[in-house]
Order: sequence, then structure tokens, then C-alpha cells
Amino acid sequence: MRKVLTGNQAVAYGAMLSDIQVVAAYPITPQTTIIEELADMQADGRADIDYIRVESEHSAMAACIGASMGGVRTFTATSGQGLFLMHEMLHYASGARVPIVMANVNRAGAAPWSIWSDQTDSVSQRDTGWIQLYCEGNQEVLDTTIMAFKIAESIRLPVMVVLDAFFLSHTSEPIDIPDMETVKKFLPPFDPGEIWLDPDNPKSFGGITMSNAYMEFRWQVQRDMEKAKAIITTVHKEFEDTFGRLYRQVEEYKTENADIVLVLSGTVASTGRDAIDTLRERGEKTGMIKMKTLRPFPREDVIAALKGKKKVAIIDRNFSPGATGVWAQEIKNALYELPENERPLIYGYVAGLGGRDISTKTIEEVYSKTKNSEKPDDVDIWIGVKYV
Amino acid sequence: MKYTDKQVQVPLCAVSTASSLLNKTGSWRFAEPQFIDRVSPCNQQCPAGEDITGYMYLAGQERFEEAWRLIMEENPFPATMGRVCFHTCEDRCNRKDHDEALAIHTVERFIGDYGLSQGLKVNIAGEIKDKKVAIAGAGPGGLSAAYHLRRMGYNVHVFDLNEKPGGLLRYGIPSYRLPKDVIDGEIGRLYDMGIEFKMETQVGKDISWDDLDRDFNAVFIAIGAYREQFLSLEGMEKDGIYKALEFLRNVNKGNKPISGGKIAVIGGGNSAIDCAMVSRRLGAEVTIVYRRSEAEMPAHGEEIEMAREDGVDFLFLSNPVEVYGNSKITGLKLEKMTLGEKDSSGRRRPVPTGEIFDVDFDGMILAVGESTDVEGLPSSIDHKEGVVSTNYMSQTNEPKYFAGGDIIDIPHTVTNAIGAGKRAAVGIDRFLQGIKDEGNELDGFRWGSEGNISIAGLNGVRLFPRKNPAYEVVDQKELNNFYFDHRPRIKISSMPSKDRLSNFNEVVKSQSKDNIVAEARRCFNCGSCTECGNCYTFCPDNAVKKDPAGYGFIIDLDYCKGCGICVNECPRGAMKMKYME
Repeated sequence: MRKVLTGNQAVAYGAMLSDIQVVAAYPITPQTTIIEELADMQADGRADIDYIRVESEHSAMAACIGASMGGVRTFTATSGQGLFLMHEMLHYASGARVPIVMANVNRAGAAPWSIWSDQTDSVSQRDTGWIQLYCEGNQEVLDTTIMAFKIAESIRLPVMVVLDAFFLSHTSEPIDIPDMETVKKFLPPFDPGEIWLDPDNPKSFGGITMSNAYMEFRWQVQRDMEKAKAIITTVHKEFEDTFGRLYRQVEEYKTENADIVLVLSGTVASTGRDAIDTLRERGEKTGMIKMKTLRPFPREDVIAALKGKKKVAIIDRNFSPGATGVWAQEIKNALYELPENERPLIYGYVAGLGGRDISTKTIEEVYSKTKNSEKPDDVDIWIGVKYV
Repeated sequence: MKYTDKQVQVPLCAVSTASSLLNKTGSWRFAEPQFIDRVSPCNQQCPAGEDITGYMYLAGQERFEEAWRLIMEENPFPATMGRVCFHTCEDRCNRKDHDEALAIHTVERFIGDYGLSQGLKVNIAGEIKDKKVAIAGAGPGGLSAAYHLRRMGYNVHVFDLNEKPGGLLRYGIPSYRLPKDVIDGEIGRLYDMGIEFKMETQVGKDISWDDLDRDFNAVFIAIGAYREQFLSLEGMEKDGIYKALEFLRNVNKGNKPISGGKIAVIGGGNSAIDCAMVSRRLGAEVTIVYRRSEAEMPAHGEEIEMAREDGVDFLFLSNPVEVYGNSKITGLKLEKMTLGEKDSSGRRRPVPTGEIFDVDFDGMILAVGESTDVEGLPSSIDHKEGVVSTNYMSQTNEPKYFAGGDIIDIPHTVTNAIGAGKRAAVGIDRFLQGIKDEGNELDGFRWGSEGNISIAGLNGVRLFPRKNPAYEVVDQKELNNFYFDHRPRIKISSMPSKDRLSNFNEVVKSQSKDNIVAEARRCFNCGSCTECGNCYTFCPDNAVKKDPAGYGFIIDLDYCKGCGICVNECPRGAMKMKYME
């Protein structure tokens, strides 16, 4: 069935088709319409969901952890400040190995207050042990939501589906909605496995653990994050087999023969494709890669895509004060292991914070700055900042 | 480094199958929560000592028979009380500061009517005893004592000068407030219990006090206050002048002492209101003449309002000084009054102004108070200023003589009389058992330090379980109002005013069961555990447990840390922290 949906509706459809059983969420712009849509689905009988009313995002995640351990497929959604408030519980969820799926609608952090898109909220949660999947369009949002449950439940780590505020959350596109029967074949019923609060067999989970065992638990999280890369690729493949749409952790676009490759994520990737087309028409030897996963970081795929290129330009719609944009850090980190003759020059750019537009012109500007530079600066270049 | 195939010596998530019960957190405690069922302000206030909190709980669950039986432990006449009691309980209701006081009176009437319509009976609870008790006076006080004594198993004889028992209930209160079938139904149960009634037998006249003294083991004096005050004005010998109680008794017997005309009712009490409303129903235009202002009227506000609805006029700050007319009254000479200093009753005293005016009237009813006739009592019984002296248990200086109702120093209301009768029954029982009370033996069975005795408490009857009853009254501040939403009080429907004056049919209507249940559920049940389960839900240590013995909860002191959350979250103040020494 094809339908015109906003990104937030796409999330809700994805969650509903995945047969979620519990939602605990707290409203925050621009996420709110996700849980409202789900509440409508619950109210009109399209979905059988237990809603847990909570007083904060911290409690929402705490309730989700409990629900998941209780043996049900659990979903929540948040944004910006809400995600910040959840921070403690995000660590707990991954450590407790509960396969919660959460949609995070990228929203810039306060102060100053902003409700518009930037990735600072999600990238600042990169060390919490959550798998993060970034989306370019509404179809990808819906598909990724369904895949997220399969990934999370296969590897028993929580998954964050990330989409841009307003550019996706409140913008409508015609998208294909899979039918529930097919989704059920793709996504088996929820199995809590060994982490299950079974009243007939009482246990407690996540209790105090001494130094003689703590490290082993953390090691398993790291091991399974590594394993997750293969699992994500497998799930992408299974999804393609079932629904005919293929996603990749690192998607290359016109990188063949490219001297300069742009690195983009979220909706900027979509704008990037147009910019690359224009530049190619002008005879520029350029291409791009679109980053879908931030965690686990697809180091091997990045190396494969960028090895031997002359220059790499990363556009970060986020930044880590005192360092650089987060994607730039990650790309540099990955490419460092290449021998010098295969290692590209790496240029970091920060653009589009707080929802400022990143147009094809912005991307062309990044391209020409990169092309005309002999050697990158030791800090990111901020695009479009209005100096006095 | 490839570590994806390696395993470690721990499960996926830290797991414990050992119970946290190993950790006896009770050792941390320096304060202890306790379940204490405390006294609600309404229960303490009720002169009859009813368990209002308890029967609201039962009525809220539609357990009307149990609710009725709970009232019947304390008061034999719920249907009557639900009509004539002035429900001071509602003034003390903790709900009144939240939204509106509970309509206790209305719920009680429903429960009483339920008992009548279902033909419910009470059993004699105690063993049948051979000791005999005489009750002088079949008014509410005498009947209450008779009922409780008979329930205890005594051989009870009631003497009264009237044809039928009931006293003021039957001969004072008009039937539009208290229909005769209600009184007959409720008093009928007393006959069924085997109480002997000797009607048209006035003690001291038709039978002597000496006879009672000889034939009975104890005597309860409840002869009321029938000696009506008269005014010494010029012209008081004329026709068309009535005394209130006499007038009401006459009407209650089915007579019509007046027929239309302009009637002055002198006085500001409830009898004045009754006479005025009765006169309206006999076709008269009625003016209540009162020497103070409305604020000082002893009559109940609701009654005054109802009289207004019935078209009664009021002439305040006016005092009759002379009756005009030849053989029959034709009008009154009145003096304008003003208000002076407060008198001993706390009300402002009427002061004459000398300003005189005349009003035409065809009749006058005097409702200026009544007093007791203590001179006819056995001479050894102490009395002072017209009232018999008694202790808390209604015992006079003569040990086998007890007294109650309007003849002792309590407010002249039906409810107070019923309460005094109950205390006397307990007192007589203890006297006949030879128990010598030093004064406070029964404190634990009273509704707080100011309340009446609870017969249910005394006998250990647990229709509404109070596991740990305490003597103290729960304070408004000890409630957690967060748990109570705001709901309006029941709207009580009455006969439209236009239909009232042609008959003596009951004015206040019976309310629907659904409305009564909803109203009963508004009750906070102050101080009493209703098993709401907040303590159980909120305890962070699962130290609050369902009582395996049945009702309510218990604290597992092995695990209770004494944090006090349960006490704080108890909506109704039925828990309390006890701090260790």
C-alpha cells in the first residue's frame, strides 16, 4: 500500500507493523506526533499497545527497560532534551541487554532553545552502547524501524532510529507501507531469551557486580557491537529479499574515479546526491558516501569506500566542542590505519546546526573549498557563520 | 583483533536468583509505620455515636444491609434520623474544605429506608437475663435505652402517657418531615424484639415511682421537657392562642386547630418553624415574630430556608407586648427591639426600643421554649435548675436511677436523646453487672475524647473492620488529599414548593440508589483503612503485605526500613509513624 506519510508517521507505521506491545514515552517536539500516531492506532484498534504514562524521558526509558525484561517488544521515541534526560538509562538499557527500539528525532540542544534539526543530541549518546541508524528519507525511516527490531533482538542491544527534525519528521512523502503478514514473516515474535522477569522463576538482573566480573560484562557488549556489523548487513539483505529495498551501512554514490569524496548523513545525503550530480555534469571527479550507522562504526566499509581517494570532505551537522564534528572524528579514526600512500587528506566541515539549511550550494562550497585547499586545517571549517 | 568468537565466564546480563529477602533491611529502622484506625471527626461529632465512616464504606459498595446493621449497632432509628437529625456531622466533615461536605444525612436515610423496605430485623445479641429495667418515657431517649438494653438481653418495660410510643417523634415532628409509617416501622421492630410497652401510663400518676422502684432492678427516666413557657402579656386569656407543642401534638393526632387566617408564631427555634409550616398547610398566612435577628435564631438554617420556600414571613427584632381582641385575638401590639451585648448563650441580647406598632392576627402560637417537670421525680434524685444531674453514663446520684433526653443537661435534639439513651443502657448494664466505673474505663470504646460510646466497639462487632481502633481523632492535616478528586455533593430533590401546602406529604424525596452510592463513595473514610492498597503499592521494600488473616495489611518489620512513604501516601490518615525511644 502506498501512502503519503510524514517521517513521524512512518516511524509509527514501522513500529505498529512490528507489533510493538508496550510504549512508554514523554512528549517533546518534534517527536510528539510519533507517539500520538501510535496512540491513535491503539485507540482505533489498529495496534494492541499498552501505553505507560510517565513523567519524564528518564522514566520513559526506565519503564521501557522494565517492560522489555518483562518479555514484550518495547518502543519509545524522543528528541533533543528528552534524549539528554534519558542518558543514564541509555547506558543501563545496553548494559542490561534489552532490545528496545527508540526513534530519536534529531533536535538541536539548548541553550539557546531550538527545536530544529541537528545531530548533537544523538551523536552525544554514541558511547551509551546503543546501535544508531541514521535515515535519509521517510521510506528509509519506516524500513529502518522494522529492521531495527530484528537487529536489536538478534544481538540483544538497543537500537536508535535517527531522523532529522522537520526535514523528515514533519515533511510528507509518498511511501510504500509493507503489509503486516509480510512483516511478520520478516520479523519473528519477540523472544526475551534469558533476560526475562518470569514470575514463576524469579530472578533479578543487573545487580551489583564486583570488579572480578564487571569487565567481562562490558567486554560482551563490545564483542556484540562488533558482531552487530555483520548482523546489520544480514538484516539489510533479508529486508531486500523480502521487500526489495536494499540499505547499506555505508552507501557509495558515484565514488568511482572520484578524487574527492564527500561524507554525508541524514537528509543532507539526499541534497548531496543532487550536488554530486551537478558537479559531475561540470566534469568534477567527485562522489559521496552516505553514513547510515554511527554505532557500531562501520570501519571496514568506510576504509573500503575511501581507500586511495585524494581527499575526503565530511559535513557534520553536529560538533563536539573542543574537538571536531563527530563523523569527522570517526572517519579520521578509521582511515588512520591506511598506509600513507592510500590515506586521503581529510577535511572536516560543520554546517546546518540548529536547522540552518544545507543546500546544494552549501555542498558545492564545501567541495570547492576542499578542492582548492592543499592541506586541511587542524580544525573544522564552519560553513556560513556570520562573523562581524 | 578479532574477538567476535570468544566467550567469557559470565552470562549476558548480571543475574541473581538469590532473593533480596536475604537483606533484612528492617535493621536500618529507627521509626515504624503502624496501621491505626483512628476516629473520624464525623464519628466523634455524632451525638448518637454512629460509625458514619464505616457505613459510608459499606454503602459505597452497595452493601446496604451491612451498612444498616452497622447503624443499628448504635441507633435503632436510621430512617427517622435520616429525616430529623440536624446532622452536625456534616459541619465537621473533612471533605468540606476539599469541595463540599458529604451528604451523610441523605445516605443515612436511604440506608434506613432500605432496612424498612427489606423488613430487616435485629436479633437480641446478649443472653436473656431475668433482670428488669423500667423506662419512663417512650420518646427517642427512652426508646434508644430500651432497644439497647433489650439487645443486651434485659427484660424491658416502657411506660408513657401517650397512646403510642415515639414521644416528640410522633407528636412533635410534623409528618411532612417524618411520615408516620416511618416511625411505625422503626418502632415496630422494638415490639418485635419483645420490649413491653405500657402506654397511657404516666409514671408518677398512673403508676408510682415507688412501684417501679419495687418491681425493677433499674429505672431510666426520659420523660422529656413538656412544660411549655408562656408569656405574661395582657390579653393572654383570649381564644386563638396556642402553645407550640400542644398545637403540634393536636395536628399530629389528625386535628385541625386552625383553619386559615393570619397566624403569628412567636419564637425562633425549630418548634416555631414547625408550627409555621404546619399552619401554612392548614391554609394560614404565617408570620414568625422573633425578638432578635435571623442570625440569632436557634432554628437550623435549612429549616428556615424551607419555611421561606413555604411562604412563611418573618418579623425580626419584634416582641409582643399585648394581645388585642375581645374574646378572640385580633392582633398584637409589638415593640421594636434592637441588639445589645452578647448574653450567656453567646447571642446578642434583644433590647427594647420603646417603639410600638400594631399588626392584625387571627391567631398566635407560642414557641418560646419548654422546660422539664422535675418536681414529680423521686425526691432523692438530685436536680439543678430544672435538669437532673447525671454522670457520663447517665447515672443519677441514686445508683439504680439513670436519666436522659431533655431532662438532663444536653442539647434538646432527637439525636442527643438517642445518644443519652445508649449511654444509659451501657451504664445500666454495668450497674446491673456490678461493675464499678472509676470514670474512664470506657474511653477506648468512645469515638474520640468528645464522642459517644460505640456499642459495636464495646461488643467487638466488626461489620466494618477496624483492626487497630484508636481513641484519637484524625486531623485534616493527616489526610493526603492528592488522592481525592473533586466531586460535587449530591443534589437532594424535594417536592416543588407549589405542591407542598395542600397536604402533609413528605417534602424531601428519596434519592436514587446510584446517587447514594456515588455520594457514599465521596467519603474520605478519614482514619479508617479501606484496603486502598497505597501502602502496599508504594513500599519500596515490599514490606507491606496483605494480612493473611483477612482484612487490610501488615508491616513486615524484618524489611521495613521505616522510610514513612506508606504513611505519607495513606490517603485517609489510617497510618502513623512511631519513633523509637
